[in-house]
Amino acid sequence: MRRVLVIVVAVAAVSPALAHTGGVADGLVGGLMHPVFGPDHVAAMVAVGLWGAFLGSPAIFILPIVFPLVMALGGVLGILGVPLPGVEIGIAVSAAVLGMMVALAARPPLWVAAVIVGAFAIFHGHAHGAELPPGADAVAYSAGFVIATGCLHLAGIAFGLLTRWPAGRLAVRTAGGAIAIAGLMFLGRLA
Amino acid sequence: MRLLIALALALIAEPALAHPPPLGIPGFFGGFLHPLFVPAHLLAVLGLGLLAGQQAPHWGRAVPGAYIIALLVGLGVLTLGVVPRGADLAVLALAVMSGGLLALARPLPEGAGGALAATTGLAIGLGSPPEVISLRAANLMLIGTGFGGTILLVVVVEAASRLTRTWQRVGGRILGSWIAASAILVLALRAAG
Repeated sequence: MRRVLVIVVAVAAVSPALAHTGGVADGLVGGLMHPVFGPDHVAAMVAVGLWGAFLGSPAIFILPIVFPLVMALGGVLGILGVPLPGVEIGIAVSAAVLGMMVALAARPPLWVAAVIVGAFAIFHGHAHGAELPPGADAVAYSAGFVIATGCLHLAGIAFGLLTRWPAGRLAVRTAGGAIAIAGLMFLGRLA
Repeated sequence: MRLLIALALALIAEPALAHPPPLGIPGFFGGFLHPLFVPAHLLAVLGLGLLAGQQAPHWGRAVPGAYIIALLVGLGVLTLGVVPRGADLAVLALAVMSGGLLALARPLPEGAGGALAATTGLAIGLGSPPEVISLRAANLMLIGTGFGGTILLVVVVEAASRLTRTWQRVGGRILGSWIAASAILVLALRAAG
């Protein structure tokens, strides 16, 4: 009886729920949509996948692993309000440079490719982190935009697998060129 | 005397960062679904389960066993009305660890796996205070959470241990990076207040 009483008091003593103020579904959908509605993000993410597929194994999976992890570190900077100069310029340049790498069929050593991709991931992460809405479920939102980013990589990889065939190789390089041009246009808008 | 101590413990307990019953379902089934509907817990269990599957057969049943025992201990502590501070942050930090190790895909000693599993289970247990008024409903939810958390991990470990093809293992590593990245962002968000 005494034990029951203790538990009753203990349960009564705790406060109402405060942990998750926003809806999980809203947060997830918001996060999934966030990168998709930024054409500069989309172009750069697809280019990461294309380049990974172009470089082959192990770059095809190392780059999509490196990107979200470094992007998260950029996101931390954005969330904590640490200023990073030229974030939008960095994002536009990322599309231009990564697209150019694909168009030119550049084959640097894996670590160089990882450093290039990782450096640009900082800018993308910072932009995402600074825009995390406080009301949404933070975990669901973050998971949503990381998943959306990863899916854009996978879309690039899927298209990039066409490089197995000569015509496909041309198509992939052309796509890379289109992304590079789009990146330059994004850059021009910022100037 | 014991009653007074328990009362004091209850009153000094941190405000409960309780989770409402998933889909508004109270009782056992609400608790059962709890690990699936609290994203931080889901990330941590997925990360741990995929890691345990990746490390199989090197990691034996001791790893999920350590998680289950620690989960039950954590839930048991909640029945005393003590809600430790920072359990949700610990769950996220452990998700970062599991996801990062999964992405790295290096062989790890079973002892390290057991420690990671036990800490994860304990943090999830302590981070699952039910938001219900009645004591009976609270206890039923805690029991349900014990079952749900256990079954979720076992299913993920069993499924992940069958992913032996190269592309499947690569997919697991990519998922690990996603889990770690998501958890890092939320930790930063919490740190920013």
